[in-house]
Amino acid sequence: MLRRLSLRLVLAVALLWAAGSLGFVMTQLAPGDAALADVGPGAVEAREALRARLGLDAPLSVRYQRWLTGVVQGSLGHSVLFERPVVDVLRERMVNTAALALAALLVGSLLGVPLGVYSGTHPSAIGTRCIRGASALFVSIPSLLLALVLVLVSARTGWLPVGGMTGAAAASSLLGLIIDRLSHLTVPALALALPLAAMLEHTQAQAMADVSSMRVIDGARARGLSRRAAVWRHAWPLSLGTVLPVYGVLAGSLFGGAVAVEAVTAWPGLGRLMLDAVRARDAALLAGAAMTATALLAVITQGIEALAAWRDPRTGTDA
Amino acid sequence: MASTRPPRFLLTVLLIAAVAGTAYLLWRDVRPAAPPQVPGATDGPPARGGRLVVGLRSEPRSFNRHVAAAAFTDVFTHLTQARLVRIHRQTGELEPLLAESWTIAPDGHHFTLQLRRNVQWSDGTPFTADDVVFSVEAAFDPALKSVLAASLRVDGQPWEVRALDTHSVALAFAAPFGPGLRLLDLLPVLPKHRLEAARRDGTWATAWNPATPPAEIAGLGPFQLAGYEPGQRVVLTRNPHYWRTAPDGAALPYLDEVVLEIATDASTELLRLQTGQLDMLQQALRAEDVATLQPQVDSGAVSLVDLGVSTDPDAFVFNLRPEFWARDPRAPWATSRALRQALSHAVNREQLANAVFLGEAVPVWGPVTPGNTRWFSPNVPRYAPDPARARALLASVGLEQRDDDPWLEDTAGRDARLSVLTFRGGTQLERALAFVREAAAAIGVALDPVPLETNALIERMVTGDFESLFFSYSTSDLDPALTRDFWLSSGSSHLWHMAQPAPATAWEAEIDRLMARQASTTDEAERVRLFAEVQRVLAEEVPVLYFVAPRLSMGVGRRVRQLSPSVLRPHLLWAADSIGVTP
Amino acid sequence: MRLPVRVLVWLAALLLLAVVAPSLAPYAPTQMFTDARHVPPMPPRLEASGRVYAVTLTDRLRERYATDASRLLPLPWWAPAGTPVFLLGTDAGSRDLFSRLLVATRPTILLALAALLGTITLGTLLGVIAARRGGLIDALIMRTGDLLLVLPVMVVALLLRSALPLVLPAVEIFAWLTLLLSSVGWPIVMRVVRATIRHEQASASALAVTALGASRGHLLRRHLLPACAGPVLAQAGLLLPAFIAAEASLSFIGLGFPDTWPTWGTLLREAADVNALVRFPWTLVPAAAIFLVTFGTRLVVSDGHAMPGTTAVRPGSAGRIVREGSPR
Repeated sequence: MLRRLSLRLVLAVALLWAAGSLGFVMTQLAPGDAALADVGPGAVEAREALRARLGLDAPLSVRYQRWLTGVVQGSLGHSVLFERPVVDVLRERMVNTAALALAALLVGSLLGVPLGVYSGTHPSAIGTRCIRGASALFVSIPSLLLALVLVLVSARTGWLPVGGMTGAAAASSLLGLIIDRLSHLTVPALALALPLAAMLEHTQAQAMADVSSMRVIDGARARGLSRRAAVWRHAWPLSLGTVLPVYGVLAGSLFGGAVAVEAVTAWPGLGRLMLDAVRARDAALLAGAAMTATALLAVITQGIEALAAWRDPRTGTDA
Repeated sequence: MASTRPPRFLLTVLLIAAVAGTAYLLWRDVRPAAPPQVPGATDGPPARGGRLVVGLRSEPRSFNRHVAAAAFTDVFTHLTQARLVRIHRQTGELEPLLAESWTIAPDGHHFTLQLRRNVQWSDGTPFTADDVVFSVEAAFDPALKSVLAASLRVDGQPWEVRALDTHSVALAFAAPFGPGLRLLDLLPVLPKHRLEAARRDGTWATAWNPATPPAEIAGLGPFQLAGYEPGQRVVLTRNPHYWRTAPDGAALPYLDEVVLEIATDASTELLRLQTGQLDMLQQALRAEDVATLQPQVDSGAVSLVDLGVSTDPDAFVFNLRPEFWARDPRAPWATSRALRQALSHAVNREQLANAVFLGEAVPVWGPVTPGNTRWFSPNVPRYAPDPARARALLASVGLEQRDDDPWLEDTAGRDARLSVLTFRGGTQLERALAFVREAAAAIGVALDPVPLETNALIERMVTGDFESLFFSYSTSDLDPALTRDFWLSSGSSHLWHMAQPAPATAWEAEIDRLMARQASTTDEAERVRLFAEVQRVLAEEVPVLYFVAPRLSMGVGRRVRQLSPSVLRPHLLWAADSIGVTP
Repeated sequence: MRLPVRVLVWLAALLLLAVVAPSLAPYAPTQMFTDARHVPPMPPRLEASGRVYAVTLTDRLRERYATDASRLLPLPWWAPAGTPVFLLGTDAGSRDLFSRLLVATRPTILLALAALLGTITLGTLLGVIAARRGGLIDALIMRTGDLLLVLPVMVVALLLRSALPLVLPAVEIFAWLTLLLSSVGWPIVMRVVRATIRHEQASASALAVTALGASRGHLLRRHLLPACAGPVLAQAGLLLPAFIAAEASLSFIGLGFPDTWPTWGTLLREAADVNALVRFPWTLVPAAAIFLVTFGTRLVVSDGHAMPGTTAVRPGSAGRIVREGSPR
């Protein structure tokens, strides 16, 4: 057990190192650097001065070494784009993306799981047909397109603010602040949550169908329980073993979708940050952001695995 | 499964039919929507106090104007620092600021400046001549590598400066210089007591970085830094020691606070302007944004401020370096004036203005536009849209239709084809280039656009590794003596053939001569005459093609009063101390 | 029709579409029309027996047009040199959106098909090696695959893309994107192939064939690989929409095809300006095209009771799930 845990830890660290190094090195391979964009065509001396100040005149191996030593000591370097330590920039953005991801997961689960339970236990109802149809529809829409459509709808109807994270001038009260944030969160979260809900609905429905075939529901009902209690308290927990692992997969695709959604809705998160870093050739920032995204994802995935293992001890490492 | 198959199939068909029907209805009836209405404005006299919220597009890199040339630093300097003199952006007159009065020696390049008395920095320290001497020395100190140095040098030499007493300064240029003291408008006066240490121990470059506590930054401008929230905003409050007063004696500035809100992209900024979260933006509006704002303009929530005709038209640059074309067989026609003139004839400038700027642009044939009221000369050759004349010009260098493809060929059978480097992501630029491409195609010349990112483009422009270039650049100075790098053949911004040891062509030598005279004489009328001649020569030889200059306007919230719009950046904030807001 | 055959037919249909679509475009994709920015769509009218109402510019600055029901125009193919007819309207560059959409179909679908081919080739190769060799090589391939599956696609794409100059010619982008998508997609195919081969090579028929003296190559070609065809094609049906969405996302954020090259992704990029999108919603029509292809693929791959493409998740395989059906 301990050996497995330490192995996982080592793998996780290796993963982080790989993501960070990849990010750092890759940006340097392409032509051009961050200094050129700031200064105009004629001012050669100013450009050279900037380059020297940013430490861009050293060869790649030296810069990588500096960065790696920095990481080991706890600093992720200095962001050229934001003129601040990378850690500071990441801190805010990570919270934003985490909020978005969690909101999407929450909404997706609240939508997908109950609908899946319903359609799994009522295979020939009209409602099930509608749910299946909607599921098939939303699973086919990439988050990017959904975000664009939602932005269009909300801008036309004026129901929700479009773009950004902060709204009207200085929210006076805490409640006002919360409502403002939430209203800005709705469009990006929905764009990510709806395909998620569709996936969950389907997996849950299938899992419930499998469980139903085990006649658990009938058994519970025979003991005198109501249908709802039978479904939710006896059948549903058994289906979790199948459903929970899917979350791990979904979390991964969530991050991918987040990049595009953040770009559309101007949500200041990690995805947009990575994009800006790539454009500005800010190596340290990209490395840091890649590592954070990977770490976040790893935490979620491992958490899910642990939960699944706890629920059903049979789920261990596969051969 | 078989029993559910037919109903499922039917359901799918119904679904598809429903979707198709809805799609057709949408197709038929979709129309542009009107953005939501905003309640009407009220008129009223400006009051003291209040906060102005301005949009800001990029993160601050530095608060020190000598270190960063970015837009933010420029605006920040206008808001928090003052200069010795100021060129009034609307009248073009030289106004005394920190220098109350001055005398000019007969030789034309020695000056004595009397500084204003009883002026204090925002932290209370008295302002003296030492600060002026420090600022000038810092600009030219080779160890500090100021970005302003290149534009401030006269005849390639730094200024000589000496404090005569606590409130007067002797200044000398290396040679008589046309603009004269107007050059001082570029130099902010920085506090010696705050920056001396950084200059001495070599930390100049990081001295006023964004993490600096506000208390360490002092200035003589109308506002002072109150706080910077990274990723959010920069807050400036009134400078209690601001020395300037309004003509009627009222203390300036009127505003209590200026907030620069950091927005991430143009669409969000515009939305915030529409909803009233921002009072103004820092860039001029694009033509299509003017249309987007129309409902707010109609309801009075936003007013459009006309800035005039832009002074920065997009430039189509040809590479005229002999060493680049040395081994290229296309050289005879690719470097010919006939090709350049033909292209100028091919583009219908009015249609370009309609297609890219929705009609809000004026045709231009040179880099100096009607927006530069002092220096613009209308007496330049104008190339009317004339495809027949264009083809005749091309035929004169051997480009004719020799085979079946739509392109002309030279005597060796090579297609008339040029690659055009351009910025990636500048939509108006890309659209203008698309228009020029189509126009060139109509006369049989193929232009292949190669979009590059900024870094790569500038690199290739500087090294001369391009066939042609289409890009936009901004000039910060209207006075031609301050943009000599572009006009002189030895200049580092002489786009078509940079930094020549000696002029390669007769017409470039002519321009060099005229510009040298123009820069060294102080007779205004003579300078205008000489520069008009320079513009004529350039429009004749067209090493760079110019098509249109957009009319600029800015959207400003209804609360804002007493604006002095200028076509130069910062369009409105250059006179921030006189701006007021209604409550 | 069985699933593998359905998928093959669908892929062939898409290929045909990619080849044919650009020739159906009435106008050139780069052609700029005078006074035609953001013209609303001009659909054929049932009441005018399929002809189109003419449209005139009423306000240049506000880009407003009025429909003139008294002037009827034929569809653009019948009168290519006459007054232009924009079936789906025009974009901000005064270009016909319908023509651009058709021309954009080819690179988008070809890229997705090329990436699919690359993924299947690479995945099958590595899956066969992993299944036949076993041991250390198998473990290595599986772990690398796991690593790639764990990293989010877009993050990997961003990282790999950052190594290249931001802007490249379209042909190079095509090659690089194919490579990129294949490198990210192969673990999925590899897993399926490996699982199928491991299952098959232990089956009775395989043992029998080997006992009768068949060579390893023969076993591979005649029994193992054909058995993989079905599951692999099922995966292909999932990967295709994912690749199209990936190209759209990458081009949308500016790291895919250059703007001068119409693909569905770059057309969407032009719809990115929120203010323009609200006023001129027809610029979103490439999204509809992407949706139709994706939805169509799902329908084709769906086999009735299971969700399009997802195979049942085996209990006891937490964390080792083949990533199927996830919209990217």
